Amino acid sequence: MPQMGESIAEGTIVRWIKKVGDSVDRDEPLFEISTDKVDAEIPSPAAGVLMAINVKEGETVPVNSVVATIGAAGEKPQATEVPKVPEVPKVPKVGAGGNGSKHSAQADGTPGATVAAPAPPSTTSAAPTAPAPQALQAPEAPDSERHKSSPLVRKIAKEHNVDIGQIQGSGIGGRVTKQDILGFIDSGASAAPASARPASEPVANIPVARGVGATVTPMSVMRKKIAEHMVLSQRTSAHVYSVFEVNYSKVDQIRKAKKDDYERAGAKLTYTSFIAKVIVDCLRRHKTINASIDGDNIVYHNEINLGIAVALENGLIVPVVKAAGEKNTLGLSRAIQDIADRARAKKLNPEEVHGGTFTITNPGNFGAQFGLPIINQPQVAILGVGTIEKRAVVIEDAIGIRTMGYLTLGYDHRLVDGAVADQFMADVKKGIENFDPSQV
Amino acid sequence: MANEYDVVVIGAGTGGYVAAIRAAQLGLKVAVVEKQKALGGTCLIWGCIPTKALLEHAHALKVAQSAKEWGLTGIDGAAVSIDMPAVHARKDKIVSGLTGGIEMLFKKNKIEWIKGTARLTGGLSLEVTLNDGGKQTVSATKEIIVATGSSPRSVPGIDVDRKKIIFSDEAIHLPSVPKSIAIMGSGAVGVEFASIFKSYGSEVTVIELLPRLVPGEDEAVSTELERAFKKRGIKVMTGSKVTSAKAGGKGVDIEVAGADGKSQKLSYDLLLVATGRGPVTEGLGAEKLGLKMDRGYVVVDQLFRTNVPGISAIGDVITMGGPHYQLAHVSSMEGIILAERIAGHAVQPINYDHVPRCTYTEPEIGSVGLTEAQAKAQGHEVRVGSFPFRALARARMAGETDGFVKIVAEKKYDEILGVHIIGPRATELVAEAVMALRMEVTVEELIKTIHAHPTMSEAVGEASHAAHGAAIHI
Repeated sequence: MPQMGESIAEGTIVRWIKKVGDSVDRDEPLFEISTDKVDAEIPSPAAGVLMAINVKEGETVPVNSVVATIGAAGEKPQATEVPKVPEVPKVPKVGAGGNGSKHSAQADGTPGATVAAPAPPSTTSAAPTAPAPQALQAPEAPDSERHKSSPLVRKIAKEHNVDIGQIQGSGIGGRVTKQDILGFIDSGASAAPASARPASEPVANIPVARGVGATVTPMSVMRKKIAEHMVLSQRTSAHVYSVFEVNYSKVDQIRKAKKDDYERAGAKLTYTSFIAKVIVDCLRRHKTINASIDGDNIVYHNEINLGIAVALENGLIVPVVKAAGEKNTLGLSRAIQDIADRARAKKLNPEEVHGGTFTITNPGNFGAQFGLPIINQPQVAILGVGTIEKRAVVIEDAIGIRTMGYLTLGYDHRLVDGAVADQFMADVKKGIENFDPSQV
Repeated sequence: MANEYDVVVIGAGTGGYVAAIRAAQLGLKVAVVEKQKALGGTCLIWGCIPTKALLEHAHALKVAQSAKEWGLTGIDGAAVSIDMPAVHARKDKIVSGLTGGIEMLFKKNKIEWIKGTARLTGGLSLEVTLNDGGKQTVSATKEIIVATGSSPRSVPGIDVDRKKIIFSDEAIHLPSVPKSIAIMGSGAVGVEFASIFKSYGSEVTVIELLPRLVPGEDEAVSTELERAFKKRGIKVMTGSKVTSAKAGGKGVDIEVAGADGKSQKLSYDLLLVATGRGPVTEGLGAEKLGLKMDRGYVVVDQLFRTNVPGISAIGDVITMGGPHYQLAHVSSMEGIILAERIAGHAVQPINYDHVPRCTYTEPEIGSVGLTEAQAKAQGHEVRVGSFPFRALARARMAGETDGFVKIVAEKKYDEILGVHIIGPRATELVAEAVMALRMEVTVEELIKTIHAHPTMSEAVGEASHAAHGAAIHI
């Protein structure tokens, strides 16, 4: 299991691309992994024949475990001689830092993850620290969506709104018996998830009644991570939102004029390019937005590492444009395009989803007027870009048609007060509306 | 070492021989020490098999006696009677066929039968006093299984001479049908012999200390059996105690203290003592070895371990604190589970609430789980459904319309807690109920289970309907 980043202790083999006996070239994709940071295809470190696979699909092992053996070309697999790697699928991973500062969440507010109501802005002091070290991983994805039980158990489960899948069955083949489910209910476990569950799960775990025709699918590693990170963020930060309306007319003009130039230079000039440039410039001036809370300390980041939320088929990922503050609009455009493309192709380096200081997410892609994204911990703010469209607007007592859009700033009121956030946003608005064409 | 085995089983009853076969199937080298001339123990030699053989004869007799009703010609029903030597010959042939079958299974599974009496000598060693003289030391490397079983027990003050005052051991091979017989105790053994001897033509009196027959069964079953017995002319004295019994030349004189407190003197040809069975551990050396015992029974845990490492016990000889039945099928299952445990399989304790209880009277009784009274005592909100066999087509064809199926369920989750069947094929019908309990089936599921027509099993489906309101055919 390759070390996919210093903070990664283990990885789950999602899929073996090669089978025992297949020949592989160096750097040919060998297997697919899922860590708590990233999903990636792992290339073969050497050419030869895949002699043995030691870790089955779905199993989680610590980094540096031997997951497979590659022999010289022409060699025949001899499974018995392969040293067996101890399976350590259930060792909970402990966060590296004493204060969770290394919890660089991969996931953030997505178009679909908008939150209905902003958190009350006053609940600040009680939990000043970022999440304490905690079990991040309980890779017990059930391999079957069906849980063995009995008519009686199903009836009891329905009555008590218990998810049978949460219960360890003592019967033959793991069948959940009456005794098991009654014990489970008595233990109060149905109200509070078992301790093996990630601590970041919601406390009130309301079981789901499964109606006729409902299908049950185990969460992917990525989905679990997103769930954990989202809940963790909601619990950690005092979320507040400000929404600004921005006139993109000028940006629109510049974009039309420069689009072809950019294309020739191998880059796409998008609204995101302009927004990212303005955000980077504003973050440089508004240090509080480009910061993190570390225990009782505030860390003001010098670097501006811009996270860009990318929707994937069954989830999302937030790759980071490192040192975004040192890039011009062209550089930012290229970098954003590059990481987004590679995120979709699962070709990201784990380090590329790590270390963001601010995140941009774009619910407007799908037509949302504005979103209320959840902060990507341990950052303190996130920008949600609403759809950009032509609207009728009042300009100096006249009604005109302009290219408009809303921008939302989700921010952590523990650190960022409303005035600070709104000054930042006013600056962003100004930056976009008065975008300097020479910057493109 | 010649006399070293993985597992040594003491006793070849339904617990011991099944444990031996299962252990051998799982690759263990097994020896069984058994002193009897045949394998199979109480069940095959004195219990289940011979008594049920006698019952089949009783059934044949009954059909022949009612030849006219069945439209059989050439038979004078009134003149038909039983020929005991012929009955015993057929019964003994069945028994020897079955015990011989176990011998064959032993050979097939390479199980050594050491013919003699075993004594625990410490560790995993035994000293066997061989039937044909001499002693032999036998040892186990993995486990010794004590499966020495039980034997009939009397009660204080009643001495069994095995001639006029007898146990079931003697009752199975009486040379002739007694003119009259009193039976002490109305558990399965007592009522089964009552049913047999009545069929054979004896005057039968059942004397039960408790207020009802088959006191372990649901009260409705007891009432129905008493009704059926009385209809057949069996005299039932419940709440009555035999205070003395004296065997004389002609028969037995007993004194019975009745439910009304009055004592009466009665005389019978024979007195059958069917008051229960006790453990057989004599000569085993259990106490000397420090085996924990309780009133003669070997104390074991849920997976049949005694307090002495390497020694386990199963069957009639054990007690485990909770409920435990002295039944062949319980012993067999214990043997299987123990053998698998010894072979290193993951095993689970038996749920003794799911043990079927079969009583081969006429009408038969088959039951599993809680009685209505037990269910109520355990705090369940109980609902009950009953269906009588007289409303069932198949039962009418058989001319056996006594009895019913009664389902005891609880309202909260619709769980089936017990099924109590008295009537034709009850001992077969109970199998469905055992499965239902084990699989934790609700009454609703049982209702939706299709029962073939015309069968006796329809009564089970109908009773489940009744538990939810109303049966279809009544």
